[in-house]
Amino acid sequence: MTPAAIIEPPAMMELHRVWKVYSVGPVKVPALSDVSFQVTKGEFVTLHGPSGAGKTTLLRLLYREEIPSEGEIQVLGLDLARARRGEVAALRRSIGVVFQDARLLPGRTVYENVAFVLRVLGTPRREITARVFEALRAVGLSARAQAYPAQLSQGEAQRAALARAIARKPLLLIADEPTGNLDEGMAAEVLDVIRDVWAGGTTVLVATHQKALARTLRRRTLTLQNGRLLKDEG
Amino acid sequence: MLAFLVGEALRDLRRAGRVAASAILLITLALGALGGFWLLSTNLGRAVGEWRERVKLVVYLRREPSSADAAALVERVRGLPGVASVRFVGKAEALGTLREVLGKDAAVADQLLQNPLPASLEVVPTAGGATPAGAQALIAGLAAMPETEEVGGGVEWIERFARGQRLVTLFGLGLGGVLGVAAILTVTTATTLVLHARRDEMEIMRLVGAPEHIVRLPLLLQGMTQGLLGALLAVWILFSVHLLLAPRLEPLVAESLGLARLTFLTPLNLATLVVIGTLLGGLGGLLARGRATP
Repeated sequence: MTPAAIIEPPAMMELHRVWKVYSVGPVKVPALSDVSFQVTKGEFVTLHGPSGAGKTTLLRLLYREEIPSEGEIQVLGLDLARARRGEVAALRRSIGVVFQDARLLPGRTVYENVAFVLRVLGTPRREITARVFEALRAVGLSARAQAYPAQLSQGEAQRAALARAIARKPLLLIADEPTGNLDEGMAAEVLDVIRDVWAGGTTVLVATHQKALARTLRRRTLTLQNGRLLKDEG
Repeated sequence: MLAFLVGEALRDLRRAGRVAASAILLITLALGALGGFWLLSTNLGRAVGEWRERVKLVVYLRREPSSADAAALVERVRGLPGVASVRFVGKAEALGTLREVLGKDAAVADQLLQNPLPASLEVVPTAGGATPAGAQALIAGLAAMPETEEVGGGVEWIERFARGQRLVTLFGLGLGGVLGVAAILTVTTATTLVLHARRDEMEIMRLVGAPEHIVRLPLLLQGMTQGLLGALLAVWILFSVHLLLAPRLEPLVAESLGLARLTFLTPLNLATLVVIGTLLGGLGGLLARGRATP
C-alpha cells in the first residue's frame, strides 16, 4: 500500500519541525528553522516574508527539489524524505508550479509550451488541443496561442506559465512570487486567474514578499522571517 | 509518445547544427574506412580461397616404379589424411611436358643422353590439407615415405598472402576504431551542447513529473540518429565508389589476383555497418546523458 493510500487528504501537506541547513564551507547556514504547519484540501494559503526569508526553499521542499535536513514533510500523503524517484515523479504530476520568471521555453509558442508538459506526460494527442485551449481560455490567452514568449508582456508570460501549470489539472498549485515582476494591473490579472483556479477546487499556496498583496488576498497567511514561521493567521 | 520523442530528438539535432554535422561526418569516415577495408579484405580472402583450391604438392621419387608399384603407391598416398587426389607422372610424361613447355626449343631435350627428370606424384590437398598446419603434416607424411626423394610446392606463399590479408583487416579495424572513438566523442560533444540548450526543457519535464526515461530518451535518440545517418551515408559512398571503380579495376585484379570480379559487401555486412554506426551514435548520446545525470 502506498503512503498516499494510508493518509488521505484533506491533509494536503503537513510539515513537522522542518529544518533546511546549507553548508557554505565550514559554516552552516539555516534557511528554514523548525517550521511546522498543515494545509488542508481546498485551502488558499499565502506564504509571506521578505526576500531571503526562506519562502523559495520551503516551496522547493514541497515539490521535492530539495530534501529537508531534519523533520518530516508529507505532501498528498507522501513522505518526501523517504520517497523514491518514481514516487516523486508521480507526486509532481499532481502539483502545478509557477515561478516568478515564468520559465517559458523560448523556442516554443504559448500553445507549444502548454502542450509540451501534456506530451511528456503521455496525454493522448486528441486530448492535448482541447486541454491546452481550455487552460489558455482560463487565463485569457486563447488569442495569443501562437505567440512566442519574447512577444508576450510579463503579465501574459506569467499567465501562460499559469496555463501550463493548470492544464494538467493539479490538486495543488504552488506559485513562487507569481506577481513579483508585474505592475499592479498585471498582478491583479494574474491573481484573478489564481483565484479562479482555487475556486475550481485546487489547493493553492502562493509565496510573496509583497505585504499589500498578502492583505489583498485576505486568506490564511503564513509569515516567514529568517527561516522561522512567525505567524499563521487568517 | 514515440513520435514526440523522435520529434524532440530531430529538433535537438537541428539545434546541434555544425557539431552534429561533424559527428555524422566522422561516423561516415569511420564506417567508410571500416567498410572499405572490409571490402578489400573480403576480396583478398576470396583470392586466397581460390588459390588454396589450386594448391598442388609434387612428390619427386627416388626411382621410377613399375606400373603395379606406381598404382600401389598412388593408393597409399590417397589414403594419407589431407589428400584429395593423386596422379602419377612417369619420367617419359615429365619429359613430354618439358618439351611442350619449351615449344620450338624442344629440340634441346632431344640432345639429352638420358631422361634426367624424375618420376613424381602430383598431390592435390583437401581444404584441410591446404591450411598451414594441414600442409605441414601432409608434407611431413609424404617426405617420410621411403620412395620420396623430395617434396616440392607448398602453401607458405599463400599463407604469407593470407597474413597480408589479415593485416589489411586489422589495419581497417584499427583505423575504423580510432575514427569510431573520435566519432563517439564528437557525438558526445554534440549531445552535450544540445543538453545545455535543452536544460530548461529537461527541468520543466522533471518538474511536471515526467518519467526519467522520457527526460533522457531524446538525447539517446539524437545520438542514434546521428549514427544512423552517418552509417547510411557511409554505405551509400561505399556502394557508389564500388559501382564506379569495380569495372575499371576488374581487368587488373583478374590478372594479378585471379579474381573474375570484385564483389561488394553482403546485405548482412551492410546491416552490420548500419548497426555499428547507430550503436556508436547511441554510445555518444549515452555518454552525454551520463554527464547530464543530476
